[in-house]
Amino acid sequence: MNPIDEKKVPETQVDRSYLNEVFEAGAEVTGLVVRADSFSAKSVDELTSEKISSPKYTYWGSVWRRFFSSKVAIFMLVVFSVIFLMSMIHPLISGYDHLNVVNINDRSKWFLRPSAEHLFGTDDVGRDMFALVWSGARTSLFISIMATLITLTIGVIVGMWWGFSKRLDVIMIEIYNIIANVPFTLIVMILAFTTGGGVWQLIFALSCTSWIGVAYFIRVQVMIRRDREYNLASKCLGSSSGKIIKNNIFPYLISVLMTIISRDIPSYISYEVFLSYIGVGLSEKVASLGRVIETSSKHMQSAPYLFFIPLVVTALISVSLYIVGQTLADASDPRNHMI
Amino acid sequence: MQMTNGEKYILRVRNLGVKFKVRDRELTAIRNVSMDFERDKVVAIVGESGSGKSVFTKTFTGMLDNNGHISQGEIWFDGEDLAQFKSDRNWLKIRGKKIATVFQDPLTSLNPVRTIGFQISEVIMKHQGKSRAEAKRMAIELMTRVGLTDAENRYNEYPFQYSGGMRQRIVIAIALACRPEILICDEPTTALDVTTQAQIIELIKDLAKEYGFTTIYITHDLGVVANVADIVAVMYAGQIVERGTVEEVFYDPRHPYTWGLLSSLPQLGDASQELFAIPGTPPSLFHKVVGDAFAPRSEFALGIDFEEEPPMFKITDTHYAKTWLLDSRAPKFEKPELIRDLHEKMLALTSKGGVYGSND
Amino acid sequence: MGRYIWIRLLKSLLSIAIVVSIVVVLVYKLVPTSKVFEGDEAFRKLKANAKVLYTYNRLETLGYCDYLTSGEMLAAELGEKAHSLKPSDEEYQRVLQVFRDRGYTIEELTYNDKLQGTHVAYRFYNSFELIGHFFAKLFQVDTPNAIQDPNWPEGLQRGYRFEKDHNGIYALTCAGCKHKYQLYFDKHFPFIHQNFIHIYFGESYPSQQGVNTLEVIGSSQGKKVKIEQTFPSGQVLKSPINQHSRKYKFTRDHLDEKKYGDDPYADTTNMQEAPSMIFTSYRIGLLSILFAYLFAIPMGIWMAKRKGKLIDKIGIIYINFILALPSLALIFFFKVIGYRFNLPDKFPQLGFHDIRSYILPVMLLAIMSTPGLMMWLRRYMVDQETSDYVKFARAKGLSNREIYNRHIFKNAVIPIVNGIPGSIILAISGAVITESMFAVPGMGKMLPDAIKAANNNMVITLSFIFTALSILSVFLGDLLMTVVDPRISLTVKEGLE
Repeated sequence: MNPIDEKKVPETQVDRSYLNEVFEAGAEVTGLVVRADSFSAKSVDELTSEKISSPKYTYWGSVWRRFFSSKVAIFMLVVFSVIFLMSMIHPLISGYDHLNVVNINDRSKWFLRPSAEHLFGTDDVGRDMFALVWSGARTSLFISIMATLITLTIGVIVGMWWGFSKRLDVIMIEIYNIIANVPFTLIVMILAFTTGGGVWQLIFALSCTSWIGVAYFIRVQVMIRRDREYNLASKCLGSSSGKIIKNNIFPYLISVLMTIISRDIPSYISYEVFLSYIGVGLSEKVASLGRVIETSSKHMQSAPYLFFIPLVVTALISVSLYIVGQTLADASDPRNHMI
Repeated sequence: MQMTNGEKYILRVRNLGVKFKVRDRELTAIRNVSMDFERDKVVAIVGESGSGKSVFTKTFTGMLDNNGHISQGEIWFDGEDLAQFKSDRNWLKIRGKKIATVFQDPLTSLNPVRTIGFQISEVIMKHQGKSRAEAKRMAIELMTRVGLTDAENRYNEYPFQYSGGMRQRIVIAIALACRPEILICDEPTTALDVTTQAQIIELIKDLAKEYGFTTIYITHDLGVVANVADIVAVMYAGQIVERGTVEEVFYDPRHPYTWGLLSSLPQLGDASQELFAIPGTPPSLFHKVVGDAFAPRSEFALGIDFEEEPPMFKITDTHYAKTWLLDSRAPKFEKPELIRDLHEKMLALTSKGGVYGSND
Repeated sequence: MGRYIWIRLLKSLLSIAIVVSIVVVLVYKLVPTSKVFEGDEAFRKLKANAKVLYTYNRLETLGYCDYLTSGEMLAAELGEKAHSLKPSDEEYQRVLQVFRDRGYTIEELTYNDKLQGTHVAYRFYNSFELIGHFFAKLFQVDTPNAIQDPNWPEGLQRGYRFEKDHNGIYALTCAGCKHKYQLYFDKHFPFIHQNFIHIYFGESYPSQQGVNTLEVIGSSQGKKVKIEQTFPSGQVLKSPINQHSRKYKFTRDHLDEKKYGDDPYADTTNMQEAPSMIFTSYRIGLLSILFAYLFAIPMGIWMAKRKGKLIDKIGIIYINFILALPSLALIFFFKVIGYRFNLPDKFPQLGFHDIRSYILPVMLLAIMSTPGLMMWLRRYMVDQETSDYVKFARAKGLSNREIYNRHIFKNAVIPIVNGIPGSIILAISGAVITESMFAVPGMGKMLPDAIKAANNNMVITLSFIFTALSILSVFLGDLLMTVVDPRISLTVKEGLE
């Protein structure tokens, strides 16, 4: 705190009208209560004067404070956590098998409305929608999270290198110009088509070219930060490139990475669901939200719950992840911490 | 020099206070400042970054950022209190027309996608109501006046085709296009290289004589001050702590902060000495400042500096300082040794020529 | 300046070539050949050796491999005398060895029929050959010597001539070319048509078998349209035949002669009522980009002007909503809304001639490209407002309106122009999604359809078209930028100073 603040004189007792007057140099300022030692020299120790009078700051403290100040973000975090936990845990404990259609010949088990036994009802072959939706969500989440992780890892590593190496830049920029100008949907569909429709193939298709976008983004960030004065200073003082990347550049990238994550995961989910829906992505053998929506969209009129429940779950995953990610990206940007 | 009317002062500021809202906190950028600006004089306002010198002059043209406002005081210009202006409409007859500003960075002050000619003549057309052709003629004249050769052909060029120094000349030409009474130069040469700096400063000086306007310089470059200013105001933590003619402030400074500022002139030290630096950092203006804001950094601090704010003391008719050291009860301190023979040192420096070499 | 454009154009073409080459290799090398035959009815009916022969024959026509029967091998190596050779002959075995040495795989036909014991040879092309073949046949030039037919009508002189077509308009015709009409005019976009040079991506297979892929997506669809027309023989018929499509027909029947006399150009296609896939997509895409800009530009500017106010907040919620929501959910959301307004949820329900069929696809496609545009424009405008030149313009004494109209807008045009290529790329991506979801008979829906049918050439064709559209739009966007931004001069260097 400001060292001056500690010796506060009660405001009301002091008349400061003298401040509006001009005194001759060497005159005595009147109308002022002074103590005997008021006009004796007072040394200030250097440490006090060097102390910067601003409140304490920790990076992660500020990040969490800012994040948790948003009620929407907290709500969305709860929503996402519930969906995430359900989709990760439920298939494990229910022992649900997507391909098991024991009730296919039992008409009484078809199209059951949501009830205590079947929370989301049953579908056209008597499968429990509750289990089906969660295992579908699990697949979608798995694919999108894995694809994002791969995209980010490759993107960050290549991007860092790209930002620092002029020679690499010449080649990479040409490659980037080609890839960035091809519609992503086309790339994903062609790759999903040619590699066949498995989970890992789809992850490959989604992350095969998208890392270069991340790398480009990182490259630009690195280039901006690389030549900042404080980094040049750090370099002059003998820091290695690695140390500069780790300490001076990477923290700035946290926010950038959060932005990418919050944008990519929902977009990958969207692609997975869409591709599976139109029958180009995952094969029928895998439980996925897209497939569930596709099959149940045929019964949209007769059993709308079959259709809307997986659709709403898909939307909730995307929206909650997006908002949590965006808020976290804002919160982790050091520029938003100032003051 | 001309005197448009009998008044000695063109601009009078009384008890000005400016506050900013930053997030949910309030920052007091200008704390109760009063100052009169004499007509046709060159006033230099010096101080560290964040001392409020830019904010102070921005209030004259209503250019405070959106989160800032004048909390108290008066600014009298041309029979009107500018502090009372609320809408942009009020300002339109002052800004650019009577009080013009030249900003720090000529590289970004011009619209990159409009021609130089357009940017000069639009002001002439607006403020002087001239036709397009007339405005063009006057613009080319101005361009030539500020030192551009081949102005006719360069009229239709874009800012990126100009060098930094040339752009600053254009910025000055635009500022002068409507014959303002006051020209505020907000660190006009910081972004330029040394030779160009000297040329621009010289240009402003010449134009001031020719066009007859009052110049207010904002700078932290004491070399520039010594060269161009008639009057110097030293700002610290949102207040003017010392003010006087350039001779008075340089050769008879009274405020410990001015002492520190002058001591830290790099030109004064010789190679064997360590460069002087004022210890510590300015106070945070988010807090209420008690006593003399400079006290925690001053080696000449008194007890009362930590309790009561000093009033303004008058040393001569033109020289004022805001420090308890001028009270009769205060011990008499000698100013630091380094700046005792500043006059000789400055003379020695200026005789070498260069940026701070003067022509008069 | 000219040089820069050429280099940029060359780079763009090279980019297209690279992308298409990669697609060609991926499609030919990675998609299992078995998948290709899944949709082929003829293949399913065949049995035994005939099936084997059909397979390799088909693979050869599709461009997968080079394929020879034993007869062909012998003829190639030994000439005429080869016919009598039997598999047991030494000479026969020697020929097989020759082909084996050349890298061919020799397969013996094992099923018990008259071909049993004979061999076929095939060699799958490597990636470079695939690419080479693709580009070698990419441009097909039609010349008066294109048709070589032993039954070439006597008296018919090869060469070009101007004559009136059935509509009484002059056209350039050709005898000896594949197409009769080389250059002709009609009332269909783009009004002038040529047949001198064709881009050929191969034939569609297994769906729309044997038709040039470009023709599949480029010619009209749906019900035949019959109009009364006069044929060269003088016969007047109500017929769907498009006489401009006349190609050389090797074996003609009496019906052809009735219409065309002894003119051998009797191979025609029909006129159909619905516009082609390309045109359908083009119409929807262009409309949606137009609407996207009409909505996004005023919104982005408005948001920037009222930064932090209500409209800005609403705009930001809108942007995030569209970005976060999966496209599938967004589409169904709009389908539900559209249902309230009696809009069809599938394009064919009302068909191409009803405007209501277009509303939802166009709207969705437009909406999908607005967030990026709005966000970018808003950020750019906000940056402009706090920029030094705006501060200086204010200090000059300009009013807010003047600053906006004279200074900020001119700057804002730059990102608007800059965003056009991006919108086109997005519209293509979006077209795949919306067209599939609304069953719009356009190129966007054709892509997943072709993929599901393993119609390799169609996949390649569409990849080519989408890639070319995207890359060329970026190129054109750059050229347009030089018009609106004086700072960009077209030099070989980076362009910006």
